[in-house]
Amino acid sequence: MALKTDVVKPKIVRTYELDNFEKLLNGLKIATCMLTESHQVVDEQSVLKRLNALTINGPADGNCCSCCGVGPFDTRAQQIAHYKHHWHTHNLKRKLFGKSPLSLGQFNSRQDDSSVSGSDSDTEESNSNPTSELFAAATRHCKAFFTNKKGQVFCIYRCILHHRKEELSTDGDGTAWVDRCQRLTLAGYQRWAVLMVSGGHFAGAVFSGGVPVVHKTHHSYVTRRGQGQAQAARDQHAAAPRSAGASLRRYNQAQFLEHVQEIMSGWENDLAGCSLILYRAVGSVNQSAIFGKNSPLKREDLRVRPLPFPTKKPTYKEVKRVHETVASIEVYDTMELFQKALIASVGVKTTSSDPNVERKKPQKSPNKPVDRAKSRERVPRELPTQLMSSEDEGPCYIDSETPVGWIKTLSEQSSRGVITNSRKDLLNDCNVTCPASSDSEVENCPEKKDQKKKKKKKADDNKQEIKQPPKKQPQKISPNIKKMWKLILGDECHSLETILEGWESAELEAACNTQDPADGNTALHKAAIAAKPEIVTQLLTAGSNPCIKNHDLKTPYAATPHADTRIAFRLFQGQFPEKYNYAKSQIPGPITLELLEQEKEKKAQQKRAKRQRDREKQVEKIRTNKFLQLTDAEKAKLDEPRCFLCGARLPKKPFEYNQYKFCSIGCLQNHRNVRPLKMSA
Amino acid sequence: MAVRVQFENNNEVGVFSKLTNAYCLVAIGGSENFYSVFEAELAETIPVVHVSIAGCRIIGRMTVANKNGLLVPSSTTDTELQHIRNSLPDNVKVQRVEERLSALGNVITCNDYIALVHPDLDRDTEEILADTLNVEVFRQTVAGNTLVGTYAALSNRGGLVHPKTSIQDQDELSSLLQVPLVAGTVNRGSDVIGAGLVVNDWCAFCGMDTTSTEISVIESVFKLNDAKPTAITSTMRASLIDSMS
Repeated sequence: MALKTDVVKPKIVRTYELDNFEKLLNGLKIATCMLTESHQVVDEQSVLKRLNALTINGPADGNCCSCCGVGPFDTRAQQIAHYKHHWHTHNLKRKLFGKSPLSLGQFNSRQDDSSVSGSDSDTEESNSNPTSELFAAATRHCKAFFTNKKGQVFCIYRCILHHRKEELSTDGDGTAWVDRCQRLTLAGYQRWAVLMVSGGHFAGAVFSGGVPVVHKTHHSYVTRRGQGQAQAARDQHAAAPRSAGASLRRYNQAQFLEHVQEIMSGWENDLAGCSLILYRAVGSVNQSAIFGKNSPLKREDLRVRPLPFPTKKPTYKEVKRVHETVASIEVYDTMELFQKALIASVGVKTTSSDPNVERKKPQKSPNKPVDRAKSRERVPRELPTQLMSSEDEGPCYIDSETPVGWIKTLSEQSSRGVITNSRKDLLNDCNVTCPASSDSEVENCPEKKDQKKKKKKKADDNKQEIKQPPKKQPQKISPNIKKMWKLILGDECHSLETILEGWESAELEAACNTQDPADGNTALHKAAIAAKPEIVTQLLTAGSNPCIKNHDLKTPYAATPHADTRIAFRLFQGQFPEKYNYAKSQIPGPITLELLEQEKEKKAQQKRAKRQRDREKQVEKIRTNKFLQLTDAEKAKLDEPRCFLCGARLPKKPFEYNQYKFCSIGCLQNHRNVRPLKMSA
Repeated sequence: MAVRVQFENNNEVGVFSKLTNAYCLVAIGGSENFYSVFEAELAETIPVVHVSIAGCRIIGRMTVANKNGLLVPSSTTDTELQHIRNSLPDNVKVQRVEERLSALGNVITCNDYIALVHPDLDRDTEEILADTLNVEVFRQTVAGNTLVGTYAALSNRGGLVHPKTSIQDQDELSSLLQVPLVAGTVNRGSDVIGAGLVVNDWCAFCGMDTTSTEISVIESVFKLNDAKPTAITSTMRASLIDSMS
């Protein structure tokens, strides 16, 4: 980018430095880039004139291509050849995109490079005649451009020349612009006012010839600190909060408005003498401060113009800076310097007009209020002191006072990787110490886990624990119990007895009720599933609780697939109705041996009866078949009470038809269909 | 002469009709008013045909035509193409083209000898255009617009182009086309010349809004005041027919 380095910093002249300014205005003209071609007016006369000219001179006038800069052509063939050339088409397209045309040599070399269009190099840009770009940039620019006798080019903010609404015509030689510019040197036109209102700050000053005559600043607390946004704006798009701060700010806002309006009316005479009043007031609230009731300023007033560039917080210093910036005129010594500077400023897309204002990106956008309904992101925080201190006291275990919630959040945090390693270790410590510690803790620990599931249960309910045996035993299961389980699955009843006798009564009960961690089966379950009624009875006498459910939520009775084993349970219930609370064991009811005998007898009888009936049915079937095989005459002869058609036994009052008898109307109808009356007769 | 006409209250008559020296196409409309204006003006000399292109009435913008031939976009259905072929004189070549810029009337403007086309038009289409319409094809723009068909109207005697066309460009174009060109408007200041005006060598039709000044410009540039159908198609034709019969 050789271009950038060429850009020369312009001289700055202030409008209130009258001597310099007047020198500048010598032989003032508006820059050509500001002018537009006046529109053609098509009327009959001009057309006729043109047509005449065409017919007189022939089309020789246009015998060239302005797009490619070729011509005049010697022959028609040459002309046609040129217009058909790819070079011409390429240049046409370049013209459409506002680029300069290529010479034939450039075009050919481009073709060789085979990189058609795309990114254009800088050198080419600088070679080009930038008039079209200049015009586009100039008409959009917030400054107006002038030239003088010396060939100097200078830029003045448009806002000090005319109001946005009064467009000065750029047709012709732009005399309107020149007039406006020259007017600035008159004594009355040196008195300007700058007013800025924003976020509870007011700053204003009246300058006369670059010197502040009156100035005033005022500040009230109206914006919500930390949240951004003025209170008034916040109130507009949500339910107005009724906090003390909010009402304070609301009150302040009203006071601020009143105060600024007071200042404005106090300055009435000063403002009336101003040729130009520049203001910055964004939003209806701020504007009402300046243009509110009793204000000497009217929106329609053409002297009142908004500032054309962003400003900082309204302070006296800023007001002075703004005034200085607006009054400054950039002077370039030659047209070329100016063109380069302008194109650079347009190309770089930063307004060089106002280099003093740094646009900092605000860290928090003030328009974004905090959403309190949403939960905030989790921030890693210090652990409670109890746990922190225990860290250096060695191993820690959680006593019954430690809230269960803590443990949960701790484990959650560890899974999210929030807490540090040392704390993780701490957690692990908790897990390890529990099972390995003394008996009382063994009792406590599962209870804790129980609590996690049923939080309502109280910790020190020891009685309940006996009735409701622990669902999860510590991982370790004594080898004896394992041996017992193995024996149950095997065939050796006697060695099982010896094992059972080996335990003391309390131990025995515990051993019998121990659940296999794999499937939750107790010894009784195993025996029941293995269909061993004797062992079941043994275990029940030894103290196995038939109410314990395994992981499938089945009691031993429900789990067994074997009828005799089921009966063993019921017999035991009959024998010892008091030993267990059978309500939850799903055993249907007690039974004694006598009842069992009776039941068996009943069943045997039923079976015999059924067999008898089957035999009778078979005999009947054989007879019917025999009957059906007989001819009609034989059937008639036989005096057996059977249906003529299907051979079934006749009811008491059979259906008769033509001397034959039938068991049902259906049979009769079928018979009649097969053999109508005439034929049978 | 130039005739003012409306298509169902719409002044853009160039959208709904196509006029050449050998035939005239009009869109199938709700009423016959539009058609009957053309019929009254042209029926003695050239056929006036009702057509649609792909079921649409905007035939003027979709097709490009001169006395030698007619190009229709690929969206034209077979029945429509058959109907056009049946209705037009035998020596008119009708061709369907596959072109990305399917509104051929907007991207191409032509008289019987020369066609100006959009700079991005396909090379194949350019070839077909040259063969079918028997014209020399030039890629051009009119007043910085690529839609040359929209912003220009040409006949063998003159041409009207976009009002913002610079004098230099007008000179060059007229030199290229070998006919006088002027910049002007139709329909009370509308710059879409191609849509507001259809013209052949002796007759022009423009929108109902066209002012008398615009009409007089049109008549002078297209030389319609003294214009009559060429001798071969009117006077000589009658005598020829007399002699042949």
